[in-house]
Amino acid sequence: MTAVLPGNALDAKLDIVGTSVRRNDVAEKVSGSARYTADLRLPGTLFARVKRSTVAHAHIRRIDTRRALALPGVKAVLTHEDVPRVLHYGSPMPRAASCTKDQYILDRKVRYWGEAVAAVAAVSEEVAEEALALIDVEYDELPVMTSTDAAEAPGAVQIHGDREDAPPGNLVVPPIRVSRGDVERGFAEADLVVEGEYEGGRPTPAYMEPNACLCHWDEHGKLTVHISTQTAFMVRGAMAEVLGLPLNQVRVQVDHFGGGFGAKQDLFQSEFLCALLARQTRRPVMMEWTRKETFLGGRSRHPVKVWLKQGFRRDGTITARQARLVYNSGAYGSHGPGVTAVGTTSLTSLYRCENVLLEGRCVYTNAPIAGAYRGYGVVQAYYALDIQMDEAAEKLGLDPAALKLKNAVREGDIAPSGHPIVGHGLEDCIRRGMQEVGWSAEPRPRSRPPKQAPQGPLRFGWGMGCEMHGSSAYPGIKEQGNALVKIHEDGTATLYTGTAGLGTGAHTALAQIVAEELGLEFEAVSVVHGDTDVVPWDIGAFASHTTYMGGMAAKLAAAEARRQLLQRAADKLEAAAGDLEVRAGVVRVAGTDRAITVRDAMLPGRGLPSPHIVGQGTYTPTKSYSFAAHFVEVQVDTETGQVDVLQVVPVHEVGRVVHPVAAQGQVEGGVQQGIGHTLTENHEIDPVTGRSLNASFVDYKMPLAMDMPPIRTILLETAPDPGGPWGAKGIGEDPIIAIGPAIANAIHDAIGVRFRHYPITPEQVLQGLREAKGEGSAA
Amino acid sequence: MTRAALPALASSAPAAPALRSVQCTINGEPVAFGVAPFRTLLDALRHELGLTGTKKGCDVGDCGACTVLVDGAPVNACLMLAVEAGGRVIETVEGLAGPSGELHPLQRNFMRCGAAQCGFCTPGILMMSKALLAENPSPTEAEIRFGLAGNICRCTGYTKIVEAVALTAAEAAGGAAGDTSAAGRPRAARPAPGKGTR
Repeated sequence: MTAVLPGNALDAKLDIVGTSVRRNDVAEKVSGSARYTADLRLPGTLFARVKRSTVAHAHIRRIDTRRALALPGVKAVLTHEDVPRVLHYGSPMPRAASCTKDQYILDRKVRYWGEAVAAVAAVSEEVAEEALALIDVEYDELPVMTSTDAAEAPGAVQIHGDREDAPPGNLVVPPIRVSRGDVERGFAEADLVVEGEYEGGRPTPAYMEPNACLCHWDEHGKLTVHISTQTAFMVRGAMAEVLGLPLNQVRVQVDHFGGGFGAKQDLFQSEFLCALLARQTRRPVMMEWTRKETFLGGRSRHPVKVWLKQGFRRDGTITARQARLVYNSGAYGSHGPGVTAVGTTSLTSLYRCENVLLEGRCVYTNAPIAGAYRGYGVVQAYYALDIQMDEAAEKLGLDPAALKLKNAVREGDIAPSGHPIVGHGLEDCIRRGMQEVGWSAEPRPRSRPPKQAPQGPLRFGWGMGCEMHGSSAYPGIKEQGNALVKIHEDGTATLYTGTAGLGTGAHTALAQIVAEELGLEFEAVSVVHGDTDVVPWDIGAFASHTTYMGGMAAKLAAAEARRQLLQRAADKLEAAAGDLEVRAGVVRVAGTDRAITVRDAMLPGRGLPSPHIVGQGTYTPTKSYSFAAHFVEVQVDTETGQVDVLQVVPVHEVGRVVHPVAAQGQVEGGVQQGIGHTLTENHEIDPVTGRSLNASFVDYKMPLAMDMPPIRTILLETAPDPGGPWGAKGIGEDPIIAIGPAIANAIHDAIGVRFRHYPITPEQVLQGLREAKGEGSAA
Repeated sequence: MTRAALPALASSAPAAPALRSVQCTINGEPVAFGVAPFRTLLDALRHELGLTGTKKGCDVGDCGACTVLVDGAPVNACLMLAVEAGGRVIETVEGLAGPSGELHPLQRNFMRCGAAQCGFCTPGILMMSKALLAENPSPTEAEIRFGLAGNICRCTGYTKIVEAVALTAAEAAGGAAGDTSAAGRPRAARPAPGKGTR
């Protein structure tokens, strides 16, 4: 367990943390003045577009740009012949951590349909677009393998055959293996063995703001990149490395940013191209993706195949768990190694089991690139696990919630990260949810909440699913958060943080933490972020760690600033600093009415100049786990196969809630994406050509306002973690994980048909009903 | 690579297109501007007129992020040419607040309810909500959800957006009963929704 840091009392009564203050980024969002990358224009800005391949796997035989260059208004065209040939990580994470060095800015080979093969800068987007059509590319095509089965088949062409360190068999990295106890013995001791294959599709994050960047170079050769990214310092590092620049000659700026959900940790070829086009033309260059490009060149969740087998005793105790997970990485590694490791090891936990044998493989294919996306490999693993628990409960004659409670991870159990679990968060979530929806543990006659009676073709059912997810990417990456807090001479303060604001309210939460620690009003704290030349280094916003890690760094910085403030106030109050307390902007000698406002404490006085108070905080977290149980009611139309989610009760244990409305917002948005993934969302790729079949918001169907059910979010604070500020843990990724199996289990309750894949489409529901009926009549 | 010496090609999107002049009213002000005939209203608003509050989420009419009001009716600005705006009355998110900067009730309630997360869909949803309430001042929840079905939000699950629109309608129906002073204050409304659910 992480030691409790001084001043990090888990049971502290707090003034500002825990309240839904008005977010400090919202006034500009409702007024339209919030600046996003694509809103920016500099004098003389050119517009860049990327030409994308029309084949999924090929060597480029010839590429002719002469006609494009001749088009009036075209200022530059780049192909693989014109750009530095530097092998780099597709995702700019700290090297050798969770990613693989397998990408060039542009290569002589294309590995997926829609990969960039050239880029144009022109005086307008229209001219740039027209120029793309004038670039002639001839390909020598290679076999297309979009599935992991095809790519792993004996004799399959190696998609990265030129990568010297690539393992054979189109693997991105060697298989990840986890072994605990003795599964053979565990299965021998089982009264029931349940085994199944589970499959996950290709949902994409579909953030509302298409990728954009604006690059310009100054007369000293310094590059400035305005970009929509979660990881500004990683972008700076990758840009510097690939373009051969020192870090102080690259400045990355991010202002407002329209969602990322993990995917905007990566670099997407186009940022390098944008910078090179700007350097060549000596003008600012804006590269704004179309919506279609966010599907083709963006990142999706890894499609997966999971084989899972578990042994159970009659009383529900799990005796053994064995699994093989195969993640489809698409054409490049991106976060595949990390996703595979986190997803595979997640099966060591959630439900206790002493005998575990797991293998996770991550496979290159000629599909679009899968990457980091909210839930990071765990969505796929727990979908299989939680559905199988439902199947086992049915076979054992036990209630599924009771079965999960019986096996739920508890205090002190070893988490996937190797850390002992803090508290009983999962049990608390399950119990609270059962109470909330009227779910009992006694299976006979029915433990789940009462089913609504069938109405015509409509059938109703209840299901539940569970999850746990770590805050921070430890131990895969040793992360670090940094913060600076300045107190100004009028008693206001500013937090300088490197963490990005994806739209979650992160900067509000961090300002709340700083205000709480400094004893100032929330409104007295401003936040500076999103400029690598100004703010302290930060690893980026991902892994549900912004509040947990960035928040703790901010808290430590504020504590140091507070120490200096109290020292100054002590001089003015002629008291000992140790006797002072500060709250709501007033410093007081504890237990007395001798007080001074922070403003007065900071004012210059006779013989006392204006102070320079700067606190610095650095925090290197280990790991905490948040927990959730989701309870859902569904309606299935047995004539059309349509599944509607009627209500969701998500119960989340997050240690300490910093901003209740923002935390609820995370849950509601995660549930929305999870419903989409489970029922409708799948970026479909033609297996023959590798071509995208539905790269638009009409054909890629996401839940709209009228598709969304009421969501009654319950937030628990029963297992605060000493590694987070006043016990706070992450919540970003958790809400997307448990909703999927909860829906699948509810569909089974409604119609008695078991689905082991997502998305579960209406046609498949009808097919399942037909098969069930056929089996019924045959029997 | 530098420009090759090849003859210039005829182009459908010339580098320096002839501009058409457009006169219309935008956010209450008469505006005259020159614009290429192929330029959408969305691009013209954003980059000819500097009104970047209206967002481009798909550019093909699928997402609603670019919703503006044209003669009071909601329109995807990406599907309308700028030259078609001649003589029309256009309203964008920048015109929602009153002349002295006082926020529109929808803006206040989006802030108050936590209805904006990343904020990219927010301007379009605000404009669609304005049109919705103009047509139906007291919508049911289902009518709000149906009315916003052309606007995609990926962050919020729509819960707090629907709540904010419903609250705005309720305030308007209840006159001064809607505690607008607290919501409009720059300081935080501490007893905001949510605390009670823990």
